Amino acid sequence: MKRLTISSDAPGQRLFVLGNEAIARGAIEAGVQVAAAYPGTPSSEITETLAGVARELDMYVEWSTNEKVAFEVALAASICGVRAIASMKHVGLNVAHDPLMTANYIGARGGLVLLSADDPWAWSSQNEQDNRYIALQGYIPVLEPSSVQEAKDMMADAFELSERFGQLFMVRSVTRIGHARGDVTLGEISGERRKGQFVKDRTRLVYTPREARINKPLMLERFEKIRGAVDTLRYNQLKLASGAKLGIIACGLSYSYALEAIKWLGLEDKVSILKIGTPHPLPQKLVKELLGSVEEVLVAEELDPFVELHIKAMVGEGNIPVKVHGKDLLPRIGELSTRRLTEAIAKLARVKTPLNFASIDKLEQETAPLLPWRPPALCAGCPHRASHYAIRVASRRVAKEMGRDIEPIYPGDIGCYALAYNPPQEASDTIICMGGSFGIANGLAHVIDTPVVAHLGDSTFFHAGIPPLVNAVYNKANITMVVMDNSATSMTGFQPHPGTGYTAMGEETVRLKAEEIAKACGVEFVEVVDPFELKEATNAIEKAIRFPGPAVVVSRRPCTIIEQREKRKRQEETIPYYVDQEKCGEKCNACIELLGCPAIIKEGVKTVIDSSLCTGCGLCAQVCPYQAIIPEKKQ
Amino acid sequence: MMKEFNILITGVGGQGVILMSELLGKASVADKLRVRGSEVLGMAVRGGSVTSIIRIGEDVYGPLIPTGRCHTLVGMEPSETLRNISCLSKSSLVIVNTAVIVPFTVSIDKSKYPSLEQILKQLAKASGKIVQLDAATIAQEAGNRLAANIVMLGALFGTDQLPIKIATIKEAIEERFPAKLAPLNIRAFDLGYDACR
Repeated sequence: MKRLTISSDAPGQRLFVLGNEAIARGAIEAGVQVAAAYPGTPSSEITETLAGVARELDMYVEWSTNEKVAFEVALAASICGVRAIASMKHVGLNVAHDPLMTANYIGARGGLVLLSADDPWAWSSQNEQDNRYIALQGYIPVLEPSSVQEAKDMMADAFELSERFGQLFMVRSVTRIGHARGDVTLGEISGERRKGQFVKDRTRLVYTPREARINKPLMLERFEKIRGAVDTLRYNQLKLASGAKLGIIACGLSYSYALEAIKWLGLEDKVSILKIGTPHPLPQKLVKELLGSVEEVLVAEELDPFVELHIKAMVGEGNIPVKVHGKDLLPRIGELSTRRLTEAIAKLARVKTPLNFASIDKLEQETAPLLPWRPPALCAGCPHRASHYAIRVASRRVAKEMGRDIEPIYPGDIGCYALAYNPPQEASDTIICMGGSFGIANGLAHVIDTPVVAHLGDSTFFHAGIPPLVNAVYNKANITMVVMDNSATSMTGFQPHPGTGYTAMGEETVRLKAEEIAKACGVEFVEVVDPFELKEATNAIEKAIRFPGPAVVVSRRPCTIIEQREKRKRQEETIPYYVDQEKCGEKCNACIELLGCPAIIKEGVKTVIDSSLCTGCGLCAQVCPYQAIIPEKKQ
Repeated sequence: MMKEFNILITGVGGQGVILMSELLGKASVADKLRVRGSEVLGMAVRGGSVTSIIRIGEDVYGPLIPTGRCHTLVGMEPSETLRNISCLSKSSLVIVNTAVIVPFTVSIDKSKYPSLEQILKQLAKASGKIVQLDAATIAQEAGNRLAANIVMLGALFGTDQLPIKIATIKEAIEERFPAKLAPLNIRAFDLGYDACR
């Protein structure tokens, strides 16, 4: 028998998959022909999965330079009648917000689906924004799955719905959908492949004030049609318990927690439950039916009170005698859970919780001080560690000359290099958004007199680093911009980008270079260094800081994970370093305190290198004041 | 049909935690069991703590184990096992690999690593039974220290609690590894299994 994979046309068969693979599978079943995205946790595996089967299934898949472009690529396909998806993490949608707020006026010809991967608890993000509010602003209907299976099913249906109503749809995933796993029953794969056709239609596609005024009413009309239809979608389900005084309105993933909580409390026959799969627009008939049958409701949803707000508006408008609970009993911060739902429902149903959670909490609190702190860290052999060190040494040299109190400022950015914000490096003074390091540096240059040395990675540079670089040249911001080029989008799983020389579908392409772009943008000081040549790299950054005007240093060295993989393929040996205990200054600790490399550890008072982790980068040997760190000799 | 069986696997990035749950998930599907799970990928894991959840059974809906409802906590590293204490109750079993991985924050004096005794004492307060294993040494016996995660997987099956058939998980292991490495991993599984009997 042929092995079952994500692209097998095997309806009814079950497959164990990651939520993001299930989402990709849904798009595959719908016959998606164009997929575009910029990587971002927890969304990246969707487009990786699609890229992996793109040729086999005759799809076009690309990693775009940023989310705005990705959305525009998908929108263009839809305009031409072709089914398309743009996937992004929640904050990525901020970048795509501009085209989104007019794309909704255009509507959809080919099914158009926007996948927003929200990240409650900000596991891998800078904030916890709830993108249903962006959908609200744009009259964009939202589907929100309660499980991995439903994520697949909704995705497959979303394209159909988008074409039926002529509007783009958003599917809102969260971390515990995209990075959940589960068994999924596969559906049929549509083999339909359409030829794109651009039909000139200035009234629909060319937006001047006139078209905005013509198309907004049409968009509102489409939205009202969708509102009228959602009550009968299978994703919204009302289960009334006879005589129930309490109702639960559970949106998306919260539904799975609500089911477990009700069962745990033994309240299956005493609580009515409305499952919400379309938080926007809400299934109003079902909501009203529930509200009319109970005295109190609890709205359960991840992050902000979005459904709750709308329910409260309905209650107010209809003068319905029901008390609405939600974020008064459930947190706005972090993820929901079976326990949180259990506690909230127990309170409303006036029953005891099935477990004494307080005693578990007490034990956990008692345990917390015992636990060692294990933050994520740069890998052993990571070139960013060397770049950060060079930036720090060079900046301090210049600052010292400027005065005793001068402290250089290091605006940082989104990517692996952000992990060095932890001690001992503490390498970033600000981290806000993609490209934000260069942007913040621009502003700092006009209000403070200390050296400003900003850093971002290669993928981030192409994503959002170029406009602030141009700005620095144009507005004469005296800043140093370091591009830490490790030739990969490492944090999200090594996706290719414009600087890598190949595409999402594995095709060779031109390789853009940050230094050439910087020169073309009018930066007069541009140097390229290898961060593992620490002295040269430090000197180049020092020169860049001293240069009067914007300066760029490209610190280039491939990601150590990729380099180690390549080495293994070439069967090349890694020669680790070791500490010569006779030379090592025991109380010195410079290598540990300056670099924070996971391969350098303490064994009692001795400093040693874990040869199973050491990649032989030699950075520690370059900072050791006693020349005590040397490569192991070959046997 | 088993209603609910919750497994939490924990360790440090690079110990093969995710692989263990992938094998459990695939074997569950092969045995026609309903399975759910979850993990955190991306920024949270680079050299940091890793946890992966597998839930098997008809009554399982959510991707997370409700507080206090873990049946078996499989810890690849002692302090990471302790970090997940809130999933345990007096009916839980803990299988812990005793090999310690000290985080670099200890080297720079930003935190302390507790003694193994402290860890076990604390775990004992929360759970019903603790099984200790030196998984890397057992894996070495099978042929490679890196198979410690498969040793722990074998130990999990040695408890005789899982609804998955032994033959099915072994098929999943054989399918996952290249033919050259499969026998070593099956040996590691068997040694782990025996160690927990």
